[in-house]
Amino acid sequence: MTLLSVKNLRVSFDTEAGLVEAVRGVSFSLGRERLGIVGESGSGKTMTGRSVLRLIRPPGRIEAEEMRFDGIDLMRASEKEMRALRGTRIAMVMQDPKYSLNPVMRVGAQLMEGLRQRDGMGKAEARAKAIAALAAVQIRDPERVMEAYPHELSGGMGQRVMIAMMLIPDPDLLIADEPTSALDVTVQAEVLSILDGLVRDRGMGLIFISHDLRLVARFCDRVLVMFKGRVVEELAAKDLMQAKHPYTQGLLNCLPRIGGPREPLPGLDRTAEWAN
Amino acid sequence: MALIEIDDLSVTFHAKGREVRAVQNVSLSVGAQESYGLVGESGSGKSTILRAICGLAPVSGGTIRIGGQPIDSPRGAAFSRQVQMVFQDPYASLHPRHTIDRTLSEPLAIHGIADADARVKRALSDVGLPPGFRFRFPHQLSGGQRQRVAIARALMLEPSILLLDEPTSALDASVQAETLNLLNRLRAERGLTFLMVSHDLAVIDHMCDRVLVMQHGRAVEELERAALATAEMKTDYARSLFAASADRMLEG
Amino acid sequence: MSAQASNSLTRWLRDPNPASRRQARLGQAWMGWLRMRRNPLAMIGLSITVLLLLVAAFAPWLAPHDPITQSLPNRLMPPLSPGHLMGTDDFGRDILSRIIYGSRITLTIIVLFTLTAPVFGLLVGTVAGYFGGWTDEILMRITDIFLAFPKLILALALVSVLGPGFQNAVLAIAITSWSPYARVARAETLTVRNSDYIASIRLQGASSLRIILGHVIPMCLPSVIIRATLDMAGVILIAAGLGFLGLGVQPPMPEWGQMISAGRKYLFEQWWVATMPGLAIFVVSLGFNLLGDGLRDVLDPRSAGK
Repeated sequence: MTLLSVKNLRVSFDTEAGLVEAVRGVSFSLGRERLGIVGESGSGKTMTGRSVLRLIRPPGRIEAEEMRFDGIDLMRASEKEMRALRGTRIAMVMQDPKYSLNPVMRVGAQLMEGLRQRDGMGKAEARAKAIAALAAVQIRDPERVMEAYPHELSGGMGQRVMIAMMLIPDPDLLIADEPTSALDVTVQAEVLSILDGLVRDRGMGLIFISHDLRLVARFCDRVLVMFKGRVVEELAAKDLMQAKHPYTQGLLNCLPRIGGPREPLPGLDRTAEWAN
Repeated sequence: MALIEIDDLSVTFHAKGREVRAVQNVSLSVGAQESYGLVGESGSGKSTILRAICGLAPVSGGTIRIGGQPIDSPRGAAFSRQVQMVFQDPYASLHPRHTIDRTLSEPLAIHGIADADARVKRALSDVGLPPGFRFRFPHQLSGGQRQRVAIARALMLEPSILLLDEPTSALDASVQAETLNLLNRLRAERGLTFLMVSHDLAVIDHMCDRVLVMQHGRAVEELERAALATAEMKTDYARSLFAASADRMLEG
Repeated sequence: MSAQASNSLTRWLRDPNPASRRQARLGQAWMGWLRMRRNPLAMIGLSITVLLLLVAAFAPWLAPHDPITQSLPNRLMPPLSPGHLMGTDDFGRDILSRIIYGSRITLTIIVLFTLTAPVFGLLVGTVAGYFGGWTDEILMRITDIFLAFPKLILALALVSVLGPGFQNAVLAIAITSWSPYARVARAETLTVRNSDYIASIRLQGASSLRIILGHVIPMCLPSVIIRATLDMAGVILIAAGLGFLGLGVQPPMPEWGQMISAGRKYLFEQWWVATMPGLAIFVVSLGFNLLGDGLRDVLDPRSAGK
């Protein structure tokens, strides 16, 4: 079943230097699966993710032939309807937890805020649910973390809290924008496996946005490779090593490998025909 | 003889009555024209070692010698001509209100080196930037282009030692490849000595002859490049870092 | 200028690969101008400021009457009387002409002020912020002392000591208002001081003086300029206040504050005598405030990023 379908999405910005097109006709559809969007900076991957929630501020403009989430036309939905979707049915995890958590509010209060206001839960019930959410992201002493302020948490811990917060309302779709790029490699692996388990167990749809092809390949079912606002290749993650598009191949080859040869790393040819 | 000798170095920061021991009793030595790597996760103290060499972090114990001589404090003009640094974030390391031209000619002006015009032009072409970039401002450049400018700036005074603090971690993969190639080319051409910090073992492996693994401000293990490729680590921490390294993921 | 020529000029200004320093600077300024033009309030502020400049420059041509010559038969004529658009004051002088000539004095006050207080404050603030430690402590405590006095009272005391007069009034205002600039500049310096680009220039062997003048001050300038434009209104008002108390510009010079002071006696029967110069102060202050707000958006390096 299709959860989200996007047809011919375009995002453009009207700046002093003229019209800038960040996304130029992207189409994809998503079931309850894990879709990776990979690209380098400026490829429009983040803008694509944000467009789904219509989180693009003026002078940015979103256009699409169709953008439909579970029967709801996202292009026509009112701002009020969008607010009802954001956070509850479609959740988003951003790159750096430092900027996503309120620095002057205890973690517990932030977790319980939505439960109490949106779902009208009592204090005790909300607290129990928040602690359960923290436990679900494998935080060992959730009671202590509930009382902590965001700056008292490490990066990995903060990102787990973010994930817990996003998953409390049981969304149908999670958009994760570089959720582990700010973390150390060993922590990165842990956070990813937690995210993976949660998505599997709950049967959510996931859009995983990253610059790291290898990470996405290991973690997703399907991968969209974006370049300059367009999807240049779509393929199953397991076939990534057999990618046909020169850009995808270039991305794979330009990474150094432990024990690899010492010769210059192959660069990307950005002058080829496909690069326009 | 080793060009950089660090002996029993400790760095302690004092903040709000608390002591943070960022580096504890680390020793290492780097030979002339060698490329030496420091690898570790955030908070391991790897960048602090570079900053301590430059006089940007408070040394609380141990000695740093360059070319056999203990370095002066504060660092003098001679030090500037011998050691330069490339910072991690090219968005933060270039003055946002100076043109590239100003950024590159400033070191020449400070040291009273003539012929600035020609040198700036040559520096741009050496790092593979078109001459038209000379009067641009940093915000008109991409991350990779900025890092090239930062590398050009570090080489303006023709130092023999380049300290590289995660020079590619803020860059895209393809740009990282180009930047690493540029650094390797410059090292070969000019006989530079690199002391390079990274969290990415694969990058260190590609660039360095020897690597020191660090954790919580302490040296864990020093590895030759060959030992890294064949995963012959002696400590558990170095092994776990190796296992979590991004390029193992496809096999994993 | 033909459309084609203006097109090629725009292209030259927008050229991402400027061929010279001059072109790069002009291009930057052009982009700033485009950003400014998007903000209607800032444009209103700019128009008022330009208008003030023009009026001051062309005062003798614009003013219908001499601002000083008295004409007692014509005293206290209401606005819109023939020949006196804004009426006349208690000595029969044309109020419009006095306001037009008064703009020169206002402008001089503004220029003198801008050249003193912000520059001094900027130097004190950046030096304190950059060196930190004892230098910072001493300079900032001095700043605090100046901040602790109410501006007008301190200015009054200074003018009483120095003697009334135009230059002394401006000097007193400058001495009382440099401290906020020092604070702003210091705060800005603290955020810049530990940045990588300052670390890098230190590593190149630059002297502290060179770093402060060439690298720190450019980063503090936007906030200081904005603060100065926002302060302009206050400066005009304090100058007016000193004039009002008879300690600033001496009669019969047409200074706006003085004019209000003189009109106070007739406020209920001949309201225009005090109201017209009051309106002039209001419009000019508003103009500087709006301009300051607009400049904040144009000069902020963060907004210049994209």
